[in-house]
Amino acid sequence: MAGDGPNSRQALVNLRQLCQEHLKGRCTIEIIDVVKNFRAALKDNILITPALILVAPLPKVVVLGNLSDRQKLLLALRLPEGYP
Amino acid sequence: MRVRGRPIPKVPTQISGLDEVLEGGLPRGRTTLASGGPGSGKTVLGLEFLCSGAMAGEPGVFVTLEERAEAVRKNALSLGWDLAALEKAGKVAVVEARLYGEEVISGDFDISGLLAIVGGQIKRIKARRVVIDALDVLLRVFGDPRRERNELYRLHEWLIDRGLTNVLTAKVHREGDAAPQYEFLDFMADCVIRLDHRVIGQVATRRLRVIKYRGSGFGTNEYPYVIGDHGIVLFPLTKAELTHQALGPKVSTGLAGLDAMLAGGYRRASCVLITGTSGTGKTSLACTFVQSACRAGERALYLSFEESREAMVTAMLSAGIDLRPALRRRKLMVQTGLPEAMGSDGHLIRALQAIDDFKPNHVILDAVSACVRMGSEQAAFDYLMRLVSIVKERGITCIMTNQITGLVGTDEELSGIGFSSVVDAVIQLRFVEKGREINRQVLIVKSRGSAHSNLRQPFAITSLGIEIPDSPRPPVDRAGQADTKDGGK
Repeated sequence: MAGDGPNSRQALVNLRQLCQEHLKGRCTIEIIDVVKNFRAALKDNILITPALILVAPLPKVVVLGNLSDRQKLLLALRLPEGYP
Repeated sequence: MRVRGRPIPKVPTQISGLDEVLEGGLPRGRTTLASGGPGSGKTVLGLEFLCSGAMAGEPGVFVTLEERAEAVRKNALSLGWDLAALEKAGKVAVVEARLYGEEVISGDFDISGLLAIVGGQIKRIKARRVVIDALDVLLRVFGDPRRERNELYRLHEWLIDRGLTNVLTAKVHREGDAAPQYEFLDFMADCVIRLDHRVIGQVATRRLRVIKYRGSGFGTNEYPYVIGDHGIVLFPLTKAELTHQALGPKVSTGLAGLDAMLAGGYRRASCVLITGTSGTGKTSLACTFVQSACRAGERALYLSFEESREAMVTAMLSAGIDLRPALRRRKLMVQTGLPEAMGSDGHLIRALQAIDDFKPNHVILDAVSACVRMGSEQAAFDYLMRLVSIVKERGITCIMTNQITGLVGTDEELSGIGFSSVVDAVIQLRFVEKGREINRQVLIVKSRGSAHSNLRQPFAITSLGIEIPDSPRPPVDRAGQADTKDGGK
């Protein structure tokens, strides 16, 4: 996320909801504010925010945006609920 | 009440010729857009601006959205800038910000991440300048013209708020025009520079034009430029005032007879055209001068578009002119090249580099007529006008040969492509048939700011050189009148 802009706040809300509904107790999330820590953004090449990086299990996936497209998010994270 | 506008503060780019066109440089603390097609030199312009700033105590951040940082460093090194060293010294930061296109997009987003990174680097090195290379790449992710525009305005405001002098580059594909979806870039920026890389008559040429400059005047023409070993070099010839030096004192032509006809010889810092049909002795006459000047310890640069150095030296030997000592003593530099080998801009930069390095007293160009093969008559005209202008500005004598095909009357035809206004003296060589003989004659058609003979003189080229008899009648003395009119400028 980047500061408390509307997209960043929306992304946090959407991500919490996703964890509640699909990943309860099965995930660890690290939240980095690139405004406070630009080196982290530099390291992971985060130009567009908000951005969600799935670090494990591999392969790594990057999702850009405020995560309001639930279907795309589920598919990107390879969660079975994403498949119809 | 009207008040006199205060000139806006500017930052020089240190790009040769560009600051003249921009009347000082880019707008300080504002946005400049440099747009152009592929290969037009946008990145080079940005790099030069940034590096020269870093050297002058204004650190800068270079954001590359398309090329890898390593490629940018290599590019800079080829122009003589050690970016890695500047980075180490904390004067430059290169931010490689590339999107890979593999990201999944879910919902709305913005470029805060990029701003955070750039902001962090700006703070770290106390940057005063920012270059963002290939903005169009960043905009493409949005895939929505309205969103693109909003994010771009945000970026623009963000940079301005921090008082950064910034250059944004963007690709445009249509010749000389912004792609319609990027038109707003032109409105947003305070200064817009369009770089154009096009092919005229099979020869690639580059042209730069300043489209707008808020709060400042600027040169409004299209200016040819080249990207040489030291980056972009512009030729803003079309300045309002001429800064040529006044014609200098006389220098011997190397022939007592011709000196007599010219009332002492060629004038220094003047442009002399030797014209005639094939075989009349134009090159021999030019080389006679070279030999004489070099013997006197002066330096001559010979630009030959007709033959190789060796061929020329050998041919001159048979006419009794030995250029070898001058070459050995490095008083003579011969630069040869096929006119077709590159565009007129390329030839010009090559000649200018030789002039800068060698610092000649005299430049010989052989031949004007060959220059048309650089692409077009316009290209040859541009080349010659610029070369003569620069040479005169530096007080260098310019001797040019021109091959004509028939009998001539006017100045226009004498110079071939209508640049007679910069030609100060015209010497015409010709053959005359007399019975079963063919003889040579020389005539001074004009000699600005100097008396000259009005007679056709016979001359011969022997194995001992050119022979012109001493003038049987002294030159008509109109020096007083001519000197005040033309020569005294």
